[in-house]
Amino acid sequence: MSRKFKIFVVDTGPLITLAVAESLDYLLYVNADIIIPDAVLHEATHDAAHLGAQDIIVWMKAHRTHIEIAPTKAYEVFNAARATMPNLHIPDLGERAAVEVIEEPDRLLDDERGLLLCEETAVFKRIIVRDRERIVEISTLDFLRILEAEQCIQSAEYVFERASKAGRFPSRVTKMNEHDELTRRAIQELMKSNHHHS
Amino acid sequence: MNEQQKSALEAFSSGKMTAIELRRRFGGATYGDILLLLSELDLPLPRAPTMGREEQIRLAHSWMFPKHVP
Repeated sequence: MSRKFKIFVVDTGPLITLAVAESLDYLLYVNADIIIPDAVLHEATHDAAHLGAQDIIVWMKAHRTHIEIAPTKAYEVFNAARATMPNLHIPDLGERAAVEVIEEPDRLLDDERGLLLCEETAVFKRIIVRDRERIVEISTLDFLRILEAEQCIQSAEYVFERASKAGRFPSRVTKMNEHDELTRRAIQELMKSNHHHS
Repeated sequence: MNEQQKSALEAFSSGKMTAIELRRRFGGATYGDILLLLSELDLPLPRAPTMGREEQIRLAHSWMFPKHVP
């Protein structure tokens, strides 16, 4: 996996929004490497009862060769601390990990380009992009609108509408609860294989 | 859900509050939890305004589909 264009999923919003709308595959419609910081994946999937978690894991496993789970110090430290504090929660863990990944000096080489995919309100705020020539941040809806403009999908708004009606599909939430243990194991496997590769 | 939390969800929905701040106010809720709460109140997901970001989006478009953008 090494393409000149890379998409960094820098928070859980895009993953969960697309998962809930059953549209995660749209991330693969672009010829790019997909990079997800380990802590972002953890936040999105650590509790299988949470909306979208099961779908994200299934999707990750199915497309493992196209997606890199980027290991970070932030997650490593968090994980080590959990050994003594199992209920430890760090609200901005995913963001910290994302910043760490983006700032790795070897992440983008030569003429490579990076797209930071954020949830809608994150594009207003604090991800400081130093290399504007090579890195831009856009929201999930921006991404979907570009796909729509390219006629890869029918309607960006439809995907968003589906996500915003998430709570109206109780059967999906129940299904995820039932798969809790399976998902937990799947996450552990993904993380393990990630550490072996890094 | 109390009135303060409802106001916070409305602020998020209209783009006036970030997801991370909202999640903090809901005691570490996940983004998925937030989607459920929005749905419960029949509030739309926030939409980032494109005004002022046109060049950024154009650039992203040209990288995503290099042959198609002039």
